[in-house]
Amino acid sequence: MSEPLDLSLRGQAAAIAAGEIDASELLQATLARIEERDPAINAIVETFPARSREMLVAAPSGPLHGVPVVIKDEWPLPWRAQRFGAADMLAKTSPGESGPYRALRDAGAVIVGVGNMHELGSGSTGNVSVYGPARNPWNVERCPGGSSSGPAAAVAGRLVAGAVGADGVGSIRYPATYCGLTGLKPTYGRSAMDGHHMAGVSTTIVSGPLCLDAGDCRLLGSVLYGGELRAGEASDLRIGIVENEVSEDVAPAVREACETAIEELRQATGGEVRKVELPELSAATLATVLIANSESLGSVTPERLNDLDPSLSPLGRGLLKYRLMLPAVATVKAHQVRAMARQRLAEVFEEVDLIAWPTVPAVAPPLEAPLVELPSGTLTADAANVRGGALANLTGIPAISVPVGSSEGLPIGLQLQAAWGRDELLLDAAEALEGANGRRWVEAAPPVPVDQAEA
Amino acid sequence: MEASKGADDFIPAALAAFGVEADEIELAVMDAAHEIFWPPILELLSLDTSVSASEPAPDLSQAPPRR
Repeated sequence: MSEPLDLSLRGQAAAIAAGEIDASELLQATLARIEERDPAINAIVETFPARSREMLVAAPSGPLHGVPVVIKDEWPLPWRAQRFGAADMLAKTSPGESGPYRALRDAGAVIVGVGNMHELGSGSTGNVSVYGPARNPWNVERCPGGSSSGPAAAVAGRLVAGAVGADGVGSIRYPATYCGLTGLKPTYGRSAMDGHHMAGVSTTIVSGPLCLDAGDCRLLGSVLYGGELRAGEASDLRIGIVENEVSEDVAPAVREACETAIEELRQATGGEVRKVELPELSAATLATVLIANSESLGSVTPERLNDLDPSLSPLGRGLLKYRLMLPAVATVKAHQVRAMARQRLAEVFEEVDLIAWPTVPAVAPPLEAPLVELPSGTLTADAANVRGGALANLTGIPAISVPVGSSEGLPIGLQLQAAWGRDELLLDAAEALEGANGRRWVEAAPPVPVDQAEA
Repeated sequence: MEASKGADDFIPAALAAFGVEADEIELAVMDAAHEIFWPPILELLSLDTSVSASEPAPDLSQAPPRR
C-alpha cells in the first residue's frame, strides 16, 4: 500500500474501514507530518493533539471514520473561537459547535488543525494574515490563494487529504486553482454554515471541500451537505463558453490549458460547446463585491473603527474604513443586478448544462507582489480573479475548480458552473475530465516543501 | 458636472463626516481602493436597473421564478 499520508481522502477512509490502517497511527503520523512540513508553508495555525485524540476516541462509524482533516479559521470549534485570519474581526466570537464541525464529527472525522486564511476573508491571494502568509507548496514564494489559503496549502502539501474552506467571493476556487486542487463551491444554502459569524447575514458565503480530486470532494462534500452527492454519468454535456474578459483577458498558457480541457470534456462526454451571452458579467462582479462588503458592515461603528487592533494589517484597516463610503444607492443597484444576472443565468441554463472558463486568469503570483500580467496589462491578482469568481456567489449557483494544466511549474484551473442544485453534475463532469486527461493533473504532486528559514 | 475619480477631497471629507480617524498608510490604502472601485461604481450608478424585475428576498438556493 502507498504511504497512508499520501492516500486520497477516500483511500484513507477505505483503508481504515478495512483495517489496513490504524486510525491512531494515522493521526500520529499526520501530526508528525504537520510538524515536519508546515513550517515551510504555514498552512496550519494551530493543532490540538489532545482534542484530536478525543475526537478519534469518540468517533462514530461514518464515512470519514478516523480520517484527519483541517478546517479553516472561519468557524468556531468547541475549544477554539475563530479569528478569521485577523487580529481584529469586529465581531464577537467564542468557542462553540458550528455546522461544519458537527458534520465532520458525526461523520467520524478527526480535526487535526485549523487552516490559515487571508485576513478577514478579504483577499484572493492568502498573502495577508495575522498568522503570516500561507505559502504555496508548488513554490513557497508564490501565493497559495485565498481566502482559504491554509486549507488548500495543507492538502496540496499532503499534510491532510481533505479540508473545509469557505467561499464568499471565490475563496475556495482561487486557492484550489493556485494549489492544484479540486474545490467545490456549493449551491447557496446546501452545505453546513451555522455557527459562522456571518450565518444568517451573508448571502454569498458557503462552506465547501478542498481535496485532491472530485471523488474526494464528493465524499467530503456529502458530509458537509448532510446527504450523499450521488455519482452519475456526465454525458452529452452542453458546455457553455463566453467570449469576454473572463475567457480572453487571460495569460496565454492558462487560456490554452482551459481550451484544451473544455475540448477534452466535450469529447469525453459526447457533448457540444456552445457560445453563451452574459452581458451582466462585469456589473455582476462589482455587485458581488458591494453586497459582500455591505453585509459585513453590521458590526462596524465609527467608534470601533477608531479602536481597531493595531496588529490588523494597514490594508485591512484601510479597507474596513473605506467600506463606510460605499454609496447605498450602489448597493441597491447591486441587488437589482443580482436579479438580472439570476434571470439571465436561468435562461442560459436552459441552453447549456455547464458554463466553463478559467478559474483565475494567471498562475499564482509572488507573495511579495501579487500582480498578474494579462493581455490587457498588469493587474492586482484580486482585481483579476474576482472577474471569474464572483458570479456564482452573487447568484447562488454551484461552481467547481478543477486542475487542468501547469505553467511555470504552477497549476492552472478550469471553473465549471452549473444551475442551482446541480452540484452533483459538476462532480460528474470533473470526474469525466479527470478520466479524459488520465488524471494527470489531479495526481501531480508538488515537491516536499522546504522551510526557507532552514534551507 | 463631471464626476470626480479623485479621492483627495472625498475620502477626508467622508472620514470627517463619520468621525473616523485614519493614518497616512490607511489613507493610501483607501486612495488605492477608491481608484479601483470608484470608476465601476460610477458605471453602475449610470445604469437604470429599475427596468429589471426585482427579486425581493431571493431564494439563492434555487433558480428565480420564471417571468
